[in-house]
Amino acid sequence: MALTDIFRVFGLPLLLLGLIVLFAVNTGAFLTPTNLAGLAQSVAISILLFVGMTWIFTIGEIDVSFVAVAALANMIAAGLVNAGLGWPMATLISLVAALSIGLANGFLVAVMGLPSLITTIATGGIASALAAAVGLGSSVAIIEPSFLQVLFDVRFGIIPLVLIVALLVTAVLWYVQEKLTLGHYVFAMATNPRAVLEAGVPTARITVILFTFSAVLSGFAGVLIAVELSSGQPSIAGSLFIDGLTAVLLGGTMLKLGKPNIIGTVVGVLIIAVLVRGGALLGWSAPDFQIIKGGLLLVGVSVVVWTNRRDFMR
Amino acid sequence: MRDLLHHPLTFRLAALATIVLVITATFQAITPSYLSMSNFTAILRAMALNGVVALGLTFVIVLRKFDLSLAGVASLSAMTLGFAIQETNSLAFSMMACMAIGMVAGAVNGLLVGKFRLPDVVSTIAIGSICAGLAWIYNDGATFSQNFFSSGMVLFNTNRFFGIQMPVVVLIITAILTFLILHTTRFGNAFYASGENETATRYSGISVAGVSLVGFAICGALTALAMVLHVSGIGSARVTAGGQIMLPAYTSVYLGAALLSRPSVPATLVGAFLMTLLLNGFTLMSVPYYYSDAVVSLILIVAIVMFDPRILKVLRRPQTLLFKQSRAT
Repeated sequence: MALTDIFRVFGLPLLLLGLIVLFAVNTGAFLTPTNLAGLAQSVAISILLFVGMTWIFTIGEIDVSFVAVAALANMIAAGLVNAGLGWPMATLISLVAALSIGLANGFLVAVMGLPSLITTIATGGIASALAAAVGLGSSVAIIEPSFLQVLFDVRFGIIPLVLIVALLVTAVLWYVQEKLTLGHYVFAMATNPRAVLEAGVPTARITVILFTFSAVLSGFAGVLIAVELSSGQPSIAGSLFIDGLTAVLLGGTMLKLGKPNIIGTVVGVLIIAVLVRGGALLGWSAPDFQIIKGGLLLVGVSVVVWTNRRDFMR
Repeated sequence: MRDLLHHPLTFRLAALATIVLVITATFQAITPSYLSMSNFTAILRAMALNGVVALGLTFVIVLRKFDLSLAGVASLSAMTLGFAIQETNSLAFSMMACMAIGMVAGAVNGLLVGKFRLPDVVSTIAIGSICAGLAWIYNDGATFSQNFFSSGMVLFNTNRFFGIQMPVVVLIITAILTFLILHTTRFGNAFYASGENETATRYSGISVAGVSLVGFAICGALTALAMVLHVSGIGSARVTAGGQIMLPAYTSVYLGAALLSRPSVPATLVGAFLMTLLLNGFTLMSVPYYYSDAVVSLILIVAIVMFDPRILKVLRRPQTLLFKQSRAT
C-alpha cells in the first residue's frame, strides 16, 4: 500500500478520532450521554439531508438547492398540519413538493443540458421563496404532535431511532453503490460520461433520478426538522449549506479514488457534527465555525484535486 | 433599409424596447406613481447597487467561472468600511480600504481557481464562508455607525455630481471603466478567449492564471464598491450587508447575456436595468420580498434557457421566426 492509499482509507477516520480525543480531553462534557445523544440526533438529520447529494457530486454536477428544498418541505408540513390536514397527509404533500423541485432540477440539467449550479441556484431561490410564502415570511409554530415524533422518542440507550433509520438508508445506498448496476454506472459517469453514454447507458435518466432522489431525502429531513423543532422555519439554519458541501467533498477524499461516495459522506457528516458540538463546548462562536468550515472545505477540495491529478499523471 | 430590418441587433433592440414598454405600462396601470421623476431616480439608485455587483460578476461569467463568495466578501468589506470610518473618520481612506479588502478576497479566489486550478464553485464557497466569518472580528458582529455623519458617509449617497446622484455617477464610471477594460483592449479579449477555450488560450501565450486572478479581483473589488453604496444608503455597516446581492447579480448578467447573445458590459447593464424595473414595481405594489425573490429566480431560469446554445441559435436569427425567409448561411 502506497502512502496515499493509506491516507485515503484512514485519513478521515483518523481526523475524526483526533477531533473526538481533542474535545474529550479539553472539555469534560463531550463524552457525556446527553451530549452524545444530541450528537446522534444531529448526525441522523444531517445524513438524511446530505447523503443523497453525494452521487450528484460524483457525476460532476452540483446541487445547491438542498437546503431550500428542506426548508420548503419543512414549511409546507408545518403549514398543512396547522391547517388541520394531519401529519401523514402533510408529510406526503411535503415530499411531493420536494420531489417536484428535484424533478425540475433533473429535467433542466439532464434533458435541457443547463449548467447545474446556476439552475439549482434558481430553483433553490424559488423553493425558498415558496417556503417563506407559506408562513408569510415568518416561522410557523406547530401544536399537534407528529407520528414521526417516535423517531426521536424511541431510544436504544443513547441512540435514537432516527439515527438507526439514517444508518439503514446509508446501508441501502452503500449496497446500491457497491453491488448494483446503478452504482457502477454512477462511478463510470464520473470517469468518462461520454464513453458511458456511447455504451448505451441512459445517463440523462440516471441524472434525473439522482437529483429527484436527493431532493426527496432532503425534503424528508426538512419534515424531520419540523418534527424536532415543533415549528416550520423558512430559513432553516443557513450553516447547513456549507456543512453539506463540506461533508460531501471532504468525504470525497476518502476511498473511491477521490470521488464523493456514501461512506465518505457519512464520515464527513460525523466530522462536522463532532466539530460543531465540541467547538460549541469550547466556546467557539458562529463566525469561528464559518472560518474553520471554509478552511476544511478548501483542504478537502485541494486533496481531491491533488490526488486525482496524480492518478491522471500515472 | 431591408438590411437594417434584418440586422439581428435591430430585432433585439425592438424586443428590448417592447419588454421595457410592457413592464412600464403594466406597473403604471397598477401604481400611478411608477412613472414619476422621483421613482425614476429611485430606480436608477437601486440599479446602481445591483449594476456595480453585476458588472464585476460579468468578468467571472465571461471566464465561464462562478463566484459564490459574493455574500461573504460583501459582508467583510462592509464591516471593513464601517470599522475604518469609525477609526479614521476619513471617507476616502475607508472606501479604499473597503475596496482593497474586496480585491484581496477576489484575488485569493482567482489564485485558487487560476493558479492552483481548484474547482471554482467549491473554492469560492469556501472563501465566502471564511470572509463571512472574518466579518465578525471587527466588532463581534455589532453594527458600525459611528462617525458616519462627520466623515460624510451618509451624505455620499445623496450628494449630486453635476446634478446626477452619486450612486448613479459611481455606476456610470464603473460601466465606462469596465467597458474599456473588457471591450477595447487585448487584455479584455483574453477574458473571452479564456472562457471559450482555456487550453488554446494558454498555448496562444496568454496567462490564463493571470486573467482569472484579475477577473476575480475585479469582481471582489466591485462587490466592495457596491457595499460602499449600500452602507451609505442605510447609514450603518452590518454583517448581514451582503445577504441579498447574489441572486439579482447573477440574474442581471444572465438576463443581459440572453438578450444580447453573450455576456458583456452593455448586456449586464441592460439586464440590471430590466431587473430593477421589475423589482422596483414590486416594491411600489408592496409585494412581499419572497414573491419578488421567486420572480427573480424564474427570470434567472428563463435567462439561462435562452442563453442555451441550441435556443440561442434560433434567437440569433430571430427574424426567421417572423419573416420565414432566412438568408442562406
